[in-house]
Amino acid sequence: MIEVQEMTKRYGPFTAVNRISFSVERGEVVGFIGPNGAGKTSTMRVLTGFLPATEGRVQVAGHDVFDSPKEVKAKVGYLPETPPLYTELTVGHYLRFVSEIRGVTRSKRLSRIGEVMEKVGLSGWEDRILGSLSKGYRQRVGIAQALVHDPEVLILDEPTSGLDPVQTQGVRRLIHDLSGDRTIVLSTHILSEVEALCSRVIMIDRGVLVADGSLPEVRQAAGGDHYRLRLESRQGPLEDLGMVAAAVGGLPGVDQVAPRADGSLSVQASAGHPGDALLSLVADRGWRIVELRTHRPSLEEAFLALVGREQ
Amino acid sequence: MSGAAAIFWKELRVYFVSPLAYAFLVVFLFLSGLFFYMGIAVTGEASLRVMMGNMAVSLMFLLPMLTMRHFAEEQKRGTFELLMTSPISLPGLIFGKWLASLALCTIMLAGTFLYPAILAYYGEPDWGIIWTTYLGLWLCCGAFCAAGLFSSSLTDDAVAGGMAGVLLLLPFWLLGSVESFGGEALSAFFERLALLPHLRSFSQGVVDTADLAYFAGFIAIFLFLTYRKLESRRWR
Repeated sequence: MIEVQEMTKRYGPFTAVNRISFSVERGEVVGFIGPNGAGKTSTMRVLTGFLPATEGRVQVAGHDVFDSPKEVKAKVGYLPETPPLYTELTVGHYLRFVSEIRGVTRSKRLSRIGEVMEKVGLSGWEDRILGSLSKGYRQRVGIAQALVHDPEVLILDEPTSGLDPVQTQGVRRLIHDLSGDRTIVLSTHILSEVEALCSRVIMIDRGVLVADGSLPEVRQAAGGDHYRLRLESRQGPLEDLGMVAAAVGGLPGVDQVAPRADGSLSVQASAGHPGDALLSLVADRGWRIVELRTHRPSLEEAFLALVGREQ
Repeated sequence: MSGAAAIFWKELRVYFVSPLAYAFLVVFLFLSGLFFYMGIAVTGEASLRVMMGNMAVSLMFLLPMLTMRHFAEEQKRGTFELLMTSPISLPGLIFGKWLASLALCTIMLAGTFLYPAILAYYGEPDWGIIWTTYLGLWLCCGAFCAAGLFSSSLTDDAVAGGMAGVLLLLPFWLLGSVESFGGEALSAFFERLALLPHLRSFSQGVVDTADLAYFAGFIAIFLFLTYRKLESRRWR
């Protein structure tokens, strides 16, 4: 549905996006994540045909964005970071205008607007002036605006930024309901949002793609699951943690062992749980296991590991 | 030109749901009433000659204030992004906005029909001249709206856009009076470029193709410049 090849976007001497490539299949919900200024908005603006790419090819819904922008724009719904509202118009007049410029035929216009307003929870709000709406409702109008022409592809730039928790929940539920056979790309820097909504993650940092895959894949790329292990001798805590680490590191299936400041060990074992070998080691040495648990890196940790930036 | 109609109706609606159009109509009608009275009092003629010259000059200052928000505001509110990610064409967008501004001017000019009606009640004005006068003013409005749209496309700040519009139009007013310096050929050239001389023949009841071409060219050039300006924005 979306095909980006070696896309670069420069603003004068500044490179916002540097040769990124990815593709998105029909019906996928993709989270586009990265720190502020990573190039998320620039990429989305290229995808929607608002800005031309400096280099590379971008295809959306079967058309090249540069060669046939009209065809692409007719099939894409876009919510920019701040909903693009004419604050002096009413909800109804605004949606009518958007449906006109997005090419919804006259006969379908009213029913389409009614449908969309119901979907985003704006029924009965036709006559409200946009300028008087709260942030959450403005965001709903923004989403309604992106949906009014029933697009195949939905591109949402930070759809929940600046909303309170209740509103955020509402918008997330809405996005979840919209997925299906619609392709959705949403950008965010709130990683729990990606975990809640997306089947796939594309991570960019400073204009460069750093990860692309399903959530487990991205976690794996960032080191995958670890085990936290704490051992003691029968007399009490072990003094020489380095020696213990070396002993555990020598077990079959263990890739890496690192002592941690709290006296526990962080064990990385890509082949799986090193349980049996560990038990016999512990029995041999006369130690005992005080703690052994799986630590699955959160998306935040994966993100920081991949972006490689100290926080 | 796709999307021009939708843009036209949207702009007209925005004009009339905000105080801008009303404030504008009030100021304009007040000024034209003043000029009408002065014209009658000074010349004693049943004509709109004086009123028209003054109205053209005041429109030069007023119309950029009307058009200043067009692109500046779209840019500032992020709605430009909405327009440019819709399958409408840039010429359609510009033409729709221009037409909406001209429509508001038409309503405004229609409001001044009161004055020829007064003339007709008390005297015997030449209706041919009155109609050509209105045609001239209407073309003038079209030209000023085009220049105003262009100046609005230059900046994200509406007020700066309005001021730029006034500055842009001033030379076309003043050019008529630079005959004192420069040679014969130069002053003839300036005379051609200046706006008011082209308007003058309309107030004398003459519709000259050269004058019509002047206004058509003026409008076309500024709408084209607006197009180029907005198009170039995407590439920076």
